[in-house]
Amino acid sequence: MNINEIIVISGKGGTGKTTLAASIIPYLDDLIIADCDVDAPDLNILLDPQIKFTNKFVGLKKAIIDSDKCVHCGLCQTHCKFSAISKDIILSQSKCEGCGVCEFICPNDAISMKDAVVGELYESSTNFGDFLHAKLIPGEETSGKLVAEVRKKAKALALLNNKKNIIVDGSPGIACNVISSITGASQVIIVTESTFSGLHDLKRIYELTKKFNLKVQVVINKFDLSLHHSEMIEKYCSENNITIGLKIPFTKKIVSSIVSKTIPSVGEKNFFKDIGFFNFIDSLV
Amino acid sequence: MKIAVLSGKGGTGKTTVTSNFAVNIKNSISIDSDVEEPNLHIFMDMKNPTSKPVYTLYPSIDKDLCTLCGKCGDFCNYHAIIPAKNQVIVFSESCHDCGGCKLVCPNGAITYKKREIGKIFNGRSKYDTELHYGLLNIGEMSGVKIINQLKNYTDSDETVTFIDSPPGTSCATVAAVEDTDYAVIVSEPTPFGVSDMKMVVEMLRQMKIPFGLIINKSGLGDEEIYHYCKDENIEILGEIPFDKKIAELYAHGEIFSVSIPKYKDLFNNIYKKIVEGRRSL
Repeated sequence: MNINEIIVISGKGGTGKTTLAASIIPYLDDLIIADCDVDAPDLNILLDPQIKFTNKFVGLKKAIIDSDKCVHCGLCQTHCKFSAISKDIILSQSKCEGCGVCEFICPNDAISMKDAVVGELYESSTNFGDFLHAKLIPGEETSGKLVAEVRKKAKALALLNNKKNIIVDGSPGIACNVISSITGASQVIIVTESTFSGLHDLKRIYELTKKFNLKVQVVINKFDLSLHHSEMIEKYCSENNITIGLKIPFTKKIVSSIVSKTIPSVGEKNFFKDIGFFNFIDSLV
Repeated sequence: MKIAVLSGKGGTGKTTVTSNFAVNIKNSISIDSDVEEPNLHIFMDMKNPTSKPVYTLYPSIDKDLCTLCGKCGDFCNYHAIIPAKNQVIVFSESCHDCGGCKLVCPNGAITYKKREIGKIFNGRSKYDTELHYGLLNIGEMSGVKIINQLKNYTDSDETVTFIDSPPGTSCATVAAVEDTDYAVIVSEPTPFGVSDMKMVVEMLRQMKIPFGLIINKSGLGDEEIYHYCKDENIEILGEIPFDKKIAELYAHGEIFSVSIPKYKDLFNNIYKKIVEGRRSL
């Protein structure tokens, strides 16, 4: 069975990924939901999930220095390329990337590499289907690996329960988290906003999706904030043969929905109907 | 003094706040360390910057010396170097440049080559302030190296540097905030803003960096953020009201306290609060 895995990303943060992903959810059948924005997860706020299982997520190993065995020779400090070991031979947890060079170079076996828990992964149930989400411990590495793990679990659950669709709320940026979110996906929705920076960032995230040969469509949020930039975004999309799936005007109604922890497309169904949201939903399946 | 501006959630106004500080605080330097999607230079209208490449290293194998013993592959925790049947295969994008494979190779078969991962731009803004930003090449996994190099442009204690940081709380944000003297969190009064801000607060407390909050788009959402700050004893440095005029200026890439001068005092006062707070420590 082919699973239709839809990833919502944006490049620029705060353009409305979570608002859009949440709004799509009630109207897709046969659904598994995943939040891959692991260092700022918010989808749970609107979905009211009941957590069924919690798993610790072990990223890479991290160095542990045994101060009894350490003779302060400094070899580990000079060899660490991540500046994770200070002159007093104290390890910075957040800088250690788990390469193991210090363990190898230490002449006194004072350093060992131990599994480090860097986050938690949750499997929950919601009114709209099973929900995979995670939380990276603030300041930790390997968020890309955690993203991959969330997607892997979502896919496994979809196969197990014969679900056709997966919707993934992605993270901002263009680096490891995002690459990890879109690799091998069926289609991508890029949410942008009609601002100078929205357009600037859209170009970079679109270039990234091109490298992965993905089916892409763009949603312009708050398009009436600057009609000029909205036109520029439309021009850019038409020059690059990108479909514009939806244009959403700015409205305080969406903010009010989120404040009352209601999915905007449910709380403000008529507003969404008027902007052609349900045609957009049809285009996703 | 180095002041990081960060948020957790994207799009809450980091770049808006950084640019307003940069034009109002005399002789300040500003750095955009959101190298994945940098925007500060757009608002600051940077003129003819100079640029220099940032490199990372990756291993290259001398086939004549390599005996395919497999030690490099066993050592590498990133699966970036994999000894196959007839040759060693290198996945340069996965390499963290730790130097381990060369250390463990018994035959001296490994040297390192450099690969450009992005650029750093240096120059001055239209407002005649010093400005630096980084740009990660598309397809690269991590901008941490660029961020670390950018931080070399922070000046001595006499001037102040504002560092516009990436969203989230993972390694790129840690790199941007590390070794700063103070952090300004920019959040918005919505459930998303508060939830993401909590993760930033946890990170900053762990890193032992003092911080305060600017509430952006105040009046748009609800009161939860105020209750949270009261409970957690977090100082609210100032508030930027929700105002469609400000949003429109932002859309056009303009700095709002330049167009609406009554807001200049807001940023000068916040800065004063930060400096006085530090003196009283």
